[in-house]
Amino acid sequence: MIEEPYRWVEAIANRREYIETQLAAGSPIAAVGYQDGILFLTLGRARQKIFEIYDRIAMGAIGHPGDIERLRMAAIELASTEGFTRSAADVSLRRLVHYSLSPVMKNAFEQVYGPPYLARLLFAEVGSKPEEDLFLRVEYDGAIATNGAVISQARQGFAVLSATRRSGELMESFLKKEHSGAAAFEDTMKVALDAWSVGHMALGEDGAKELPERVAITRHRQEQLSGAGIEAAVLERDLKRAIRYRPLSDEEVRSSIRE
Amino acid sequence: MVDPTTRASSGGQSWTPTESTTILAFKFSGGVLVAGDRRATAGNTVVYDRADKVLEIDRHSIMAIAGVPATAWEMARVLEHSFQYFRRTQLQEMSVDGKVRALSKLLRDNFGFVMQGVGVVVPIFATYGSNPKPEARLYFYDAMGAQFEVTDYAATGSGSPAVRGILYHENNWGEKPLQKLSEDEAITVALRALDTAAEADTSTGGVDRGGKIFPLIKIVSREGITTLPEEKIAQVFRQTVA
Repeated sequence: MIEEPYRWVEAIANRREYIETQLAAGSPIAAVGYQDGILFLTLGRARQKIFEIYDRIAMGAIGHPGDIERLRMAAIELASTEGFTRSAADVSLRRLVHYSLSPVMKNAFEQVYGPPYLARLLFAEVGSKPEEDLFLRVEYDGAIATNGAVISQARQGFAVLSATRRSGELMESFLKKEHSGAAAFEDTMKVALDAWSVGHMALGEDGAKELPERVAITRHRQEQLSGAGIEAAVLERDLKRAIRYRPLSDEEVRSSIRE
Repeated sequence: MVDPTTRASSGGQSWTPTESTTILAFKFSGGVLVAGDRRATAGNTVVYDRADKVLEIDRHSIMAIAGVPATAWEMARVLEHSFQYFRRTQLQEMSVDGKVRALSKLLRDNFGFVMQGVGVVVPIFATYGSNPKPEARLYFYDAMGAQFEVTDYAATGSGSPAVRGILYHENNWGEKPLQKLSEDEAITVALRALDTAAEADTSTGGVDRGGKIFPLIKIVSREGITTLPEEKIAQVFRQTVA
């Protein structure tokens, strides 16, 4: 079937289409930097989607639970080995993603006889100041998108992960307008929830094509909040602590957004 | 059998391992207080006067060490990583029993070195567990890895006989039992106990009045671990101990 190169290209294209279909239903995740850390947030009804990887690193994921689990374990294993043999300061998200996860995912994707990873991952590493926060998104084919902290492009203090390209782009354009790195926790929480709502509204065939009106976003947010659980975690910038990851309970989040 | 407290010697030249001594812990109204003096010795030589013997393992657990720091610090590192690895991979906190056993296993594995006269470690482990009910738990160990849970206080290391005497006395005939002490009162008891231990035991640093080196004190409670700032300890010391 794949003796000829063009067949291989075709097989890859089919595979991409298949994976995109499989991922299309995932609830978006927003990772938003603020003065005292980075907030991860999503709304969901079923599985946990936000995870602690190492002292300063967290991960959000959408995709197949089995694949997410394999990648999550690999990331924890790599970070812990490095942290134990050297020190926690030597664990770097950039290296973890660029040298370990991305090649593995690309390989699995391109070996058309084997199964690909049905997962998209969003990582963040909290720095000692907001300018040092690093966000990396890894696609199922190993492609990496950064927030610009690595190469010279406008730096963003946030990143998003969504099931479809359009949804992700709308979330980003919303955050570009609304996000401020100097904001307090409560405001950041609201911005993250709105960004999630924007992403969620854009999902599906008849989803929003352009950035919805403010009123519509607020209404959507309120509707969704009454039916779904909030999953959130922060990476705290608190330099006195080694472990910065802290999961937030549903009540904690709801009490901080009471208007 | 070699007594673990005797010094290893080879080729006529004797070598003495660095050791650190005297740690104590007791439950008080605000959780568990864990304190240690700062001295590390090798035989009759003072090696270091700012040793850290009260080590944070995770957000709710402290391991305090008496014995050879080279081994103890490595044990603390292994524990720290295994607790965290468990939490991250299994998505839940390791149980108190699991944590207590993990340290026991490390001590047990180290017993060969203890028999050779090097590497003895006698730790105290304090943690705040939520299972079966939310409460502070306190354990001490022997060099072979047996764990002993205590209700009120524990002390190990060369200065511990004096410390145990004081804590026993305070708990039974003091103004109030240890569990009822306020934070300041608890600090007072800890400082007095360590100072008393240093009075008769050269391996215990106590409070170095000249160098202004104070014992290290940490508190485990439901909220996590608090390291008392040196100014706070110095202030209580001036008011109630000096």
